[in-house]
Amino acid sequence: MTTPHPAATRGPATAPGPGVPAELPARRRAPLGRLLRAEVRWIFRRPRTLAVLALLAALPVITGVAVDLTLDGGGAPVDTGPPGAGPGASDGGPPIFVTMAASAFVLPLGSLMTLLMLLLPLTVAMASGDALAGEQSHGTLRGWLLAPVSRGRLLLVKAAGVLVVALVASGLVVTSGMVTGLVLTGTDGLVSMSGTELSMADVLGRLGLAVAWATLYLMAVGAVALAISAFTEHPMVVVVSVLGGLIVSVVLMQISALDWLHPFLLPSSLTSLVDLIRDPVSFDGLAEGAFRAGCYLVIGMSLAYARITTKAG
Amino acid sequence: MTTARAEGAVPEAGNGSGTALAARTRALRKVYRGTVAVDGVDLEVPEGAVVGMLGPNGSGKTTTIRMLLGLVQPTEGEIELLGVPVPEAAEQVLPHVGALVEGPGFHPFLSGRDNLLRFAAAEPLLAGGELDGAVSAALERVGLAGAARKKYRAYSLGMKQRLGLASALLAPRRLVVLDEPTNGLDPAGTQEVRRIIAELHDRGVTVLVSSHLLAEVEATCTHVVVLNEGVVVAQGALDDLLESGSPTLLVSTPDGPTAVETLRDHRIPARLAPDGIRVDLTTTAPAAVIETLVRAGARVDEARRERTGLEEAFARLTHDVGDLVGELDTEEPEAVR
Repeated sequence: MTTPHPAATRGPATAPGPGVPAELPARRRAPLGRLLRAEVRWIFRRPRTLAVLALLAALPVITGVAVDLTLDGGGAPVDTGPPGAGPGASDGGPPIFVTMAASAFVLPLGSLMTLLMLLLPLTVAMASGDALAGEQSHGTLRGWLLAPVSRGRLLLVKAAGVLVVALVASGLVVTSGMVTGLVLTGTDGLVSMSGTELSMADVLGRLGLAVAWATLYLMAVGAVALAISAFTEHPMVVVVSVLGGLIVSVVLMQISALDWLHPFLLPSSLTSLVDLIRDPVSFDGLAEGAFRAGCYLVIGMSLAYARITTKAG
Repeated sequence: MTTARAEGAVPEAGNGSGTALAARTRALRKVYRGTVAVDGVDLEVPEGAVVGMLGPNGSGKTTTIRMLLGLVQPTEGEIELLGVPVPEAAEQVLPHVGALVEGPGFHPFLSGRDNLLRFAAAEPLLAGGELDGAVSAALERVGLAGAARKKYRAYSLGMKQRLGLASALLAPRRLVVLDEPTNGLDPAGTQEVRRIIAELHDRGVTVLVSSHLLAEVEATCTHVVVLNEGVVVAQGALDDLLESGSPTLLVSTPDGPTAVETLRDHRIPARLAPDGIRVDLTTTAPAAVIETLVRAGARVDEARRERTGLEEAFARLTHDVGDLVGELDTEEPEAVR
């Protein structure tokens, strides 16, 4: 449109001239970074995103304070653990919340494991549901397609948005837990389950690893959620399906006759987070969990891609 | 087909057609689970025209528009938008196309301005630094500058519709497609939409606007496409469509009865009208009618072709289709001006 067409006999120079089709310039696209920024800004301005993040930040504080109060008062052994300590924490191994539960090392890890059971997947499923189904129901997905943003790119931007939510959510839980631990117990209790003292750098490294692993796990959930999200225009369907799927998986994991099925169930990975408290860290379970999450991720994203490229806008 | 602007067209870059059509479809067909929504639609939207797409609800207007914009895959047929095939090259052409389809779509928890900023970020034709300005300009253009910071959920139906219009006008466009743009607008808002369409037309932007409001189309459009049950029943310049039907000449004369008799003697059908006569022009030309009358000594004060209202034409087209299709197919859409 920079070259005025000879037939352009009217209109100011700034107007898109009445050019002919042959003048269409080469394909242009909006920069990816700009799309990502717009997406992230949109996610973090949603009241419900902020509400669930606030809840995620508050839970480790509540857990830490509750444990601390229980330990101070009477010094009775707390074998029941704080409310919300999931099966991941009490499964077989020594109850990690008992002695060093309020430490800056165990509190964040324990909180992360507990919240990975339901609340963190819920957060990610909600973000995925809003990403495609929610946009579809508001008629805003059409706006992206008409801009245009190609469907593959749109899915990429949406997946990146979910990744940011997963990372921020798990990072927030760990940070909140660590800060709470530091406030309550200082640098005491930075010991591994094997009884060795851990340096602050070691602790930070392990917590960082936990956040990365949790993000991958949550992205596996998110990919499946995005696939469902591409098939419906009700975000609620996405959240319910994902949570329903996780609950069913956990139930199936309790049935030992189905142990051949357990390696295929996503929540089977969760207990391996405990390995981060051992010294030295055992990576077998974590690696297996990462691989399992990777499989879910690939399958979920493939389904989402297949659907989004064929659906009517 | 040639149009007035065709001679200016540059038949290069392998687009092959060389005619100045902003949009064209060939034998477009869409079947939804066994229901034929659109069937054999050959649409021609001349560049620079304001084309009104008319039809009752469920006549295939929105489906046609969605296919034009690459939102829906046609079952059969071809689409060209600004000379490139859609949906194959939709990404190349859509930056130049603004659209409001199936009502405005925005997020209620964001302000009008933030909603637009989000879409502006996805506009390929806007550079990073231009986003704010483009959004402000678009809001200004639809008269929403004052309510820009209000949450979308607090908008009235008319304001929502305006915001949808603003998002279609975010970047410089060559084609603007508006699906029922005056839905929910009060008379002042309708007037505003007309003004915006006229403004776009003045700048040489092609506008395709669908509506079931006939007066709307009659007031703003240069060309009309009439759809009924998924089929194009008429298409062409508005003036041609209005004159179609049985063409009639209105002759004001104080000698009505004599004039009718004279014409009947010459086997020209005519009948008395309030202050003159109505002459059917199916078999003859206006000049011949007047000559006959003057020779017979009838006094002719005035003679003009009768323009039927669009409403009448539309009713005729959607109810009594058979008669008209052949007649209108011979009419070629003229380029505007």
